Amino acid sequence: MTGPLLFKDIDTPGLAGLDTYRRVGGYATVLAVLGRQTPDQCIEIVKASGLRGRGGAGFPTGLKWSFVPKGTERPKYLVCNADESEPGTFKDRELIEKNPHSLIEGMILAGWAIQSNAGYVYLRGEFGWLQKILDQAIAEAYAAGLLGRDVAGTGFRFDLHTHLGAGAYICGEETALLSSLEGYRGQPRLKPPFPAVEGLYRCPTIVNNVETLVNIPHILGQGAAWYRQWGTEKSAGTKVFSVSGPVKRPGNYELPLGVPLRVLLEEHCGGMRDGLKLKAVIPGGSSVPPLPASLLDTPLDFESMNAVGTFLGSGGVIVIDEQTCMVDSLWNLMRFYAHESCGKCTPCREGTYWMTGILERLERGQGRASDIDLLADLADNILGRSFCPLGDAAAMPVQGFLKHFRAEFEHHVGQRCLANRRRDSRMGVPA
Amino acid sequence: MSAKVRVTINGRTVEVPAGTLVTDAARAAEVHIPVFCSHAKLPPLGACRICLVEIGLPRKDRDGKPVLGADGGPEIAWNPKPQTGCTTPVSEGMVVATDSPVAVKARKGTMEFLLVNHPLDCPVCDEGGECQLQDLAFAFGADFSRMSDAKRTFVSENLGPVVKKEANRCIVCMRCVRYCDEIMGEDALTPHRRGVRTEISSFDRQPLDCEQCGNCVEVCPVGALTALPYRFKARPWDLRQHITICPWCSNGCSVRLGVRGTEILRARGTERRGVNQEYLCVRGRFGYGFVNDAARLTGALVRPPGAAGAGNALEPASFEEAVAHAAARLREIAARDGADAIAFLGGEKLGLEEQYLFQKLARAVLGTNHVDSRTRLVAPLPGTAFLKATGGGRPSISLDELGRTKEVLVLGDDLQGESPFLQAVLLRGQHQQGVHLTVAHPRRVKLARARFGGVWLGLAPGSELALLNGLTRAALDLGDPLPAPSGGPPPAEVAAGLPALRTALAAWTPERAAQATGVPAAAIVAAARRLREAPSRAIVFGRAYAEHAQAAALLQAVENLGWATGALTAGRSCVLYAGPHSGTQGALDMGLAPDVLPGYVPLADAAARAPFEKQWNAKLGAAPGLTAPEILAAAAAGRVKALWIVGDEWVRSAPDRALVEQALARAELVIVSDLFLTETARRAHVVFPAVSFAEKEGVLVDCERRLQRTARALAPRRGAKSDGEIFQAVARALGAAWSYRTNEDVFREIARLVPGYEGLSWATLLPLGPQWASEPARVAASLRPAADERPAAGEGLWLLSGGVLFQQGSLGHRIELLTRLAGAACARFHPDEWKRLGLTAGDAVLLEGPGGSLTLPVAVDESVPPGAVFVPYAHRDVELNRLGSPGGAGLRVKASKAGIAQRTGV
Ligand SMILES: Cc1cc2nc3c(=O)[nH]c(=O)nc-3n(C[C@H](O)[C@H](O)[C@H](O)COP(=O)(O)O)c2cc1C
Ligand code: SF4
Ligand code: SF4
Ligand code: SF4
Ligand code: SF4
Ligand code: FES
Repeated sequence: MTGPLLFKDIDTPGLAGLDTYRRVGGYATVLAVLGRQTPDQCIEIVKASGLRGRGGAGFPTGLKWSFVPKGTERPKYLVCNADESEPGTFKDRELIEKNPHSLIEGMILAGWAIQSNAGYVYLRGEFGWLQKILDQAIAEAYAAGLLGRDVAGTGFRFDLHTHLGAGAYICGEETALLSSLEGYRGQPRLKPPFPAVEGLYRCPTIVNNVETLVNIPHILGQGAAWYRQWGTEKSAGTKVFSVSGPVKRPGNYELPLGVPLRVLLEEHCGGMRDGLKLKAVIPGGSSVPPLPASLLDTPLDFESMNAVGTFLGSGGVIVIDEQTCMVDSLWNLMRFYAHESCGKCTPCREGTYWMTGILERLERGQGRASDIDLLADLADNILGRSFCPLGDAAAMPVQGFLKHFRAEFEHHVGQRCLANRRRDSRMGVPA
Repeated sequence: MSAKVRVTINGRTVEVPAGTLVTDAARAAEVHIPVFCSHAKLPPLGACRICLVEIGLPRKDRDGKPVLGADGGPEIAWNPKPQTGCTTPVSEGMVVATDSPVAVKARKGTMEFLLVNHPLDCPVCDEGGECQLQDLAFAFGADFSRMSDAKRTFVSENLGPVVKKEANRCIVCMRCVRYCDEIMGEDALTPHRRGVRTEISSFDRQPLDCEQCGNCVEVCPVGALTALPYRFKARPWDLRQHITICPWCSNGCSVRLGVRGTEILRARGTERRGVNQEYLCVRGRFGYGFVNDAARLTGALVRPPGAAGAGNALEPASFEEAVAHAAARLREIAARDGADAIAFLGGEKLGLEEQYLFQKLARAVLGTNHVDSRTRLVAPLPGTAFLKATGGGRPSISLDELGRTKEVLVLGDDLQGESPFLQAVLLRGQHQQGVHLTVAHPRRVKLARARFGGVWLGLAPGSELALLNGLTRAALDLGDPLPAPSGGPPPAEVAAGLPALRTALAAWTPERAAQATGVPAAAIVAAARRLREAPSRAIVFGRAYAEHAQAAALLQAVENLGWATGALTAGRSCVLYAGPHSGTQGALDMGLAPDVLPGYVPLADAAARAPFEKQWNAKLGAAPGLTAPEILAAAAAGRVKALWIVGDEWVRSAPDRALVEQALARAELVIVSDLFLTETARRAHVVFPAVSFAEKEGVLVDCERRLQRTARALAPRRGAKSDGEIFQAVARALGAAWSYRTNEDVFREIARLVPGYEGLSWATLLPLGPQWASEPARVAASLRPAADERPAAGEGLWLLSGGVLFQQGSLGHRIELLTRLAGAACARFHPDEWKRLGLTAGDAVLLEGPGGSLTLPVAVDESVPPGAVFVPYAHRDVELNRLGSPGGAGLRVKASKAGIAQRTGV
């Protein structure tokens, strides 16, 4: 694969090693920026670049950095969110696996910008093998003087640690991640205070996604204007899309933001395989409402996606074909959310359980007509009422599925599924 | 005071301090916002979502001015999402709606979700009738359920002898888990798994290894946690509820007794009342079995005249006979040997009015000043010793303020056993208010654990004075005593004593103190600095110092430290004496001491004495009487011939067992009033059956010197009399014209006569009484070097003891749950000592002291320092005073392996 920026050299053999990374220009930005540009200048450049968080929420990165209090005596922390648990999303994995040094470089630079001397990479529990790769790269960077007491001879201190989670989707939510990192149960914390003010160990902390951070060396190295050659005014730069489902060439694609969904699926992924017909696309990871085939021409950027009632999210593009039952799909999703609900707040904990039960009944042909409105009402009772966005993430797909595919749900009332030819047997009780 | 802001809730505008949470502001506006996870003592969590409300703020224009709407009022920008009132602080102009369609739908939605997996088994739930979920379901829930799918289920679990868990009812509010962690410091509970499978349990799913306080049950808003001792005993609407004060220690917790018929079925906290609100320790919550114990005395007993001994047993007598007999014998002894042959002991568990009457009986009716409540004293102490050490009557801070005091030094007591609520106050302060703890104790007691972030000064046993001297010297090195909050200088006596103290302490360099105590010099200096320089500081001491052989010197040294660090002068600071009993402070205030009258009026001062003589219509002796240890010796020597011992198991608690046996055997007349036929009562000539705390009303003074009303929850046990009635009956039989109808009558007399109590009445003491103080300090301060008795180089192990949580006093021996929790009384050794003695588990050890010996099972305990042995105080199976009376810096005992331990019947 290749792409304009993050994926430009991704398949260079040996890129995970320091020498190769340096050969393709790696760490040049660290050498050029540290000690030469002030932290404030760095933050301004990132602000001007228009970079928005790639973890799902799309918050402007430079702005977030500027919230870190200046002149405090407390330590500041930089945390990389490599939890990547959003179903359908697998971009951070490839970025770290193939190019770990770009993350390290991005973190050194971000650390410099917010004047943090310690960074943590929080990897999802299943990423043990990635941790090894990253630890190896970190060791190399230490040996080369790029990490540690005196980064590249500039007098700036930056230490970097990796931490493996224990396998909970909620630990991707930044405050739950911080609790988990501190050794507590991974559950979200009350905001405010926001992590930038009171985060890890109650110290100012910036949490950024892997993809966000690997953009930093490019932005600080080449400048904001250069970076803006990709993307749109409000959604600048490129985005890695993880495409899954019955397309000919699933995988990660780095494209400028604003490229229509259809271009991604038809040109880059080669269209549907085996003559299957596309029914729906979930464009931003399992938490966002699906789009019907009729909206395939929507550009993949934050604003355009919002305009059609969904979100760019994490860029996990899940393609659903005509043979797949939407009731079953939603049941599947809901089992995930019920399983991953951390249990802290009532609407999400109880609502996901309840909706799973209803969907299971519908899928088994034991649904009632009133179930559909009940689902809609329960989703409404969760949306905006839960403690953290995981509840919303469980509710929004329900609304989206019902909005575009209500007929399938109505059809399901009292009868077994017709569409689902492949997975009719999976009737397990949610764990 | 923080600035006030105006908020409007459902159209009602109230003014509250900025930062008030919406739920609290609503209370002020008398609008009900339900809560589950929010709790007054815990930081906001925002988890249950029942308190969702709609919130709007005045819209501002570019210049920050409010935009005015069509009606001329500020235009409100409503938050599109409902917000949790329990986490949202109010701000100026905020508008809150709990009755708008959005708010109502949100609340109903949450309510419905809460019932998704709830079993609704209210008829068999102990919480039924006082369950917040039940109430809310009634108020806001729907009358039918849209939830028709299978509920998730758990199996119920007994988490030890106190907590029963019915997880199906749990609404995962986390109150229990957080309370146990942040306030109990036990961290015994944890959620397991996640989502709808979240289940609260102990970490290992074994019975809880914790303080068994039951506060988790108390704060559980539903019936997920219930108290096993109360399980299925009653429906709450069948209980009469009486709020009174816990009798188990000096902390003065309010307790709500649930009574059916003549039985106390349960005790709960009071939610918003008292010093403690919901908090109770295991004793205060489960320690009431003694009240309904079948073994209670139900009639008087009299030993017929004649030689004591076999065949001359106590025989039942009518109350009147017993009174007549006691009076006749007292009159006879007074006539023959003088009033000085009569002594009055005990009273630390009585109410204030009875304490007053007890000494009045002694002084005004019989004419003796041998009155002392401090029966455990090893060394004589003046009656003002404690008042002086705590500042001579300067106002104390409240326990609530103590929990916000920035630096707290705890001296000598293991608060877990002696003052459980104080410990909870400090732990919560540490967790939530930045309180820093310094704990000076030879053992690493709970409060000194590393996880509470404090400093443990693990001094060598017997080096208490050295530590205090070292701390004082280090504090004085930082400058003169701090000025009073008014800016004025400390009392003149303090300034006058300073040079001499400085000279005397010159030798107590940190290095010398370090050498004597084993505490590093730097730690001593740092502790002194923290105390002096913190924005507020408190010094807490209790039984360990009061009942120390060097108590007089220690109390003086505490006072010195108090002046030197500012604890006795600066604002929001204090020295606090948390004595061992619910009536300890009252007994001191009411003159149950040989040298002072109620209100610390010195007997020697004729002018001050006069009002008492006038009121009591009696001539009072000016010479001080004997103190408790002196009475013990005098009775053993045959000089004191009559003893009245009230509510005190003197045989077990006097410092020297052999001596107390001798004293009781030798006395011609021993009168005991008590609930039970105690060891002491068995040796008496007259035994009066007394009523328990729950059967009478009066006043108790807690360790912050707060006067609190107690209430009568039960009719007196048939045949039993209150101590006040007993005293009055005997006084009248002796010819006094007492005619108190109630304790309130007595209190009126106290309020007329006793300095510091003027103007008080029972009515002024509810719901929370004032803290007693006498300003300007009535008892003169002194800054004097404390006598420096170095621990004698001696043989053997230091005997360490102290109150333990599950056993506090002889009444506790009658509580099945407490004795079970206490387990066997073991002699506890550091692993090194254990090895040295060649002990193995299951062994017994022989402890030999100057007065006798004890054989006890053994246990290893890392918290006990090498060179010492710890034996719990007041445990049913230990009579510590058999080892003899401690002297000097403490008691040393010889320990040797004594074969296999006998089963102790526990
Ligand atoms: C339930 C939930 C799961 C999340 N999982 C991830 C994740 O796996 N990776 C990630 O980067 N951000 C995740 N986020 C978003 C983070 O909370 C946070 O917004 C992000 O890490 C910030 O980084 P960014 O600004 O660079 O995007 C998740 C959020 C929620 C509510
Ligand atoms: S919405 Fe509530 S239960 Fe769900 S993950 Fe967030 S905090 Fe946990
Ligand atoms: S009984 Fe007390 S100490 Fe034990 S778990 Fe409950 S709250 Fe914690
Ligand atoms: S057991 Fe009770 S207090 Fe504990 S979380 Fe459940 S409902 Fe809350
Ligand atoms: S702390 Fe003391 S007063 Fe409070 S409940 Fe326990 S024993 Fe009673
Ligand atoms: S009471 Fe406010 S969220 Fe629970």
